[in-house]
Amino acid sequence: MDEAKRIKLDKEHSKTENNTLYPVLPDDLIIDTPLTDVYVDTIVDPKKISKIIKEINSVLPLPQLAHLKRMKSKEIILYPVSLEQYQIINLLKEKTIDTSAFQNNIRIIQVAKIPPMTRKQFEKVNKLWPCNFHPNNYLEKLSTNTLFSHDELRSHSRYMKVAVDVAKFAKDNYYSEEQIGAVVVDPKRKSVVAVGYRQTNKGVLKHAPMIAIDNVAKTQNGGVWNPLLNQDTKIELNLDGIPKDLLEYLQIQHNDIVFGAQRYKEKDELIEPADGPYLCTGYYIYLTIEPCVMCAMGLVHSRLKRVFFGAKSSNGALETLCKLHTVKELNHHFEVFGGLIKHV
Amino acid sequence: MSELSENECFYMDKAFFYAKEALTNQEVPVGCVFIYSNQIIALGRNTVNETRNATRHAEINCIDQVENYCNDNNLNTLVVFSEISVYVTVEPCIMCAAALFSLKIKKIVYGCRNDRFGGQTVFDVASILNPVTELKGGYRGEEAMELLKEFYRGSNPNAPAGKAKVKKN
Repeated sequence: MDEAKRIKLDKEHSKTENNTLYPVLPDDLIIDTPLTDVYVDTIVDPKKISKIIKEINSVLPLPQLAHLKRMKSKEIILYPVSLEQYQIINLLKEKTIDTSAFQNNIRIIQVAKIPPMTRKQFEKVNKLWPCNFHPNNYLEKLSTNTLFSHDELRSHSRYMKVAVDVAKFAKDNYYSEEQIGAVVVDPKRKSVVAVGYRQTNKGVLKHAPMIAIDNVAKTQNGGVWNPLLNQDTKIELNLDGIPKDLLEYLQIQHNDIVFGAQRYKEKDELIEPADGPYLCTGYYIYLTIEPCVMCAMGLVHSRLKRVFFGAKSSNGALETLCKLHTVKELNHHFEVFGGLIKHV
Repeated sequence: MSELSENECFYMDKAFFYAKEALTNQEVPVGCVFIYSNQIIALGRNTVNETRNATRHAEINCIDQVENYCNDNNLNTLVVFSEISVYVTVEPCIMCAAALFSLKIKKIVYGCRNDRFGGQTVFDVASILNPVTELKGGYRGEEAMELLKEFYRGSNPNAPAGKAKVKKN
């Protein structure tokens, strides 16, 4: 097989292999833009439109509906339906607006209550009434599931395979009864920082993500559960986040993947404040299965940047029971992607 | 809100003792004790900064201690958890509430609300996990809140300096 053909096949392979990945988005990006009722009337003389708009916008502006155009062809928005119709007429008179310019055919129509966030939402509400839209490039890609390039998808898929192998290793070596694995990755250094597998036979809290979080802590001179140290001061990366036997196994299975965390620096060693690792800031985590409420919140506390999971879980908290990462009141928010290799 | 019994007041006192110890050690001041057949079998506080692990809240540390207690005394962990009452100075966060509910803890008594992460205040964990656990708060709440305020007035010694809030005078 020639090289070009191989690359093409490879690409198609990666496409079919990864096309199950999807973002788990906040509801306000998925649902239609909420609507609200407004009074409209028609302008009698089209030549007067620009004068009337100028006048009404200056004496009766609608700041809550600033995302809407005031006019649609000859129709004009008078006011939200927060007042009775006769009150509107009085209000217009009060504001000395020349009501004879209107057909006096006031009716109620529905328009976008808030600015649309995605193009899809915009196209829907713009049909009802012309609407301003400032597309956010990143949100657009995220919401249409086109954020990642082929290479990035392949990379996510590879790390997920590491997570699957972590789970298999634990089961095969009788460390765990269930095959659930977690892998924490530093996307800047492109390295596996820490891993974890479910070990609830050793402790009720020992879910794979909780163990992975603790193993990240070990790379920062912390950690609580079974401290184990691979520390080899000669190498550049810190390997305390991966049990030794598992590391050896993973290095054989994935010889193209780098293992180890950025060396931890104590406060006085830091040159830049944001230089040293702090909890899981900036890290990605790959989970073979959607995390429960406890683990999902543990990930929020740990300030992960992105969470990827494989299969949904009946007690999952990032898609199934709730979407914890979309709770606006929380002080940290990560992005969530599901469906990355469903079989585990 | 019913009054706490004399014993319960004593447990709350202990929880406050560990919350204050956390503050002295530059940790978020939350303390708690776990009671099983009228004995304190686990006690502790937040150790997030010390362990570099953001999940090491007082309740999580106590859960680990209960497991050790059960192993040492040859007791069934799940049965013991279901008979435990927890006294904690601050409303358990979403993570801790979910952990305690899943372990079918009998009762949780807390001091002040947790406006940042509360498992009832910020996100109602009970609405999705349907727990058997009884949860009640408001005991010495102002005192617990005052400890938190004292902590947040200073800056978190472990947070990156760039993100630490500058004190406004």
